[in-house]
Amino acid sequence: TGGHTTEILRLLSCLSESYSPRHYVLADSDKMSEAKIRSFEQKRAEKFSKSQFSLDRIPRSREVRQSWISSVVTTLYSILYSLPLTYKRKPDLILCNGPGTCVPVCLSAFLLGLLRIKRTIIVYVESICRVETLSLSGKILYYFSDYFIVQWPDLKKKYPRSVYLGRIV
Amino acid sequence: FRFKDSLAEELQSADLVISHAGAGSCLETLEKGKPLIVVINDRLMDNHQLELAKQLHRDGYVLYCNCSTLVETLQSMDLSALKPFPPGQPEKFASFLDKAFGLQ
Repeated sequence: TGGHTTEILRLLSCLSESYSPRHYVLADSDKMSEAKIRSFEQKRAEKFSKSQFSLDRIPRSREVRQSWISSVVTTLYSILYSLPLTYKRKPDLILCNGPGTCVPVCLSAFLLGLLRIKRTIIVYVESICRVETLSLSGKILYYFSDYFIVQWPDLKKKYPRSVYLGRIV
Repeated sequence: FRFKDSLAEELQSADLVISHAGAGSCLETLEKGKPLIVVINDRLMDNHQLELAKQLHRDGYVLYCNCSTLVETLQSMDLSALKPFPPGQPEKFASFLDKAFGLQ
């Protein structure tokens, strides 16, 4: 969604073509991110001729301020929905930065790793908005990610397993 | 206007930007070197947007206020005291990932 998309595209901006093909996963309710992504990929294709990408949509796992109990149910549903997608794509790397959409995708990949089907490196970059506290996605994925990146030093202190590279978006 | 793809044009020609505390709005504005007043929606509880606005303000990059203090802020502001905003460094992220994947 919105700000998350902008941030993630910035994160992608300096990556080499080793990080290809790129599979974008969006919430079905997200109207605006697709245009931003296509625009980014179009510019990218002008630079790197073999550049490839795809777009998939999954049901949104949680609305802002949805109750805890119903969130667990909708997230479980989203994980089940994500499993065939993650299984199909078998990504080497999942890069995410905090929208609720990323939790089921990461957890489905984590599950496939436990089942020895595919080992995916999960890299989580907490949004630049998060200076003192982690988002809910961050709090969950802190325990499931291979690399957890924060953009402010306070968070590095609070979450010692995290990586601090300064502001990267 | 609400669903315009980009406000880049408007931003470019603005002398002052008054915005909510969304990261995209703040960063886009600061990167264009425009003075920014961030208005916090204080009716939104658990307002994590506040964290970024507060930090940017602490670091001297923006002015901030809430809806009720906006007029007062506009009247008393000193925009020359705002510091220029250094860009983020996604290349550091790329470098980090490359090392993690042994691509260096």
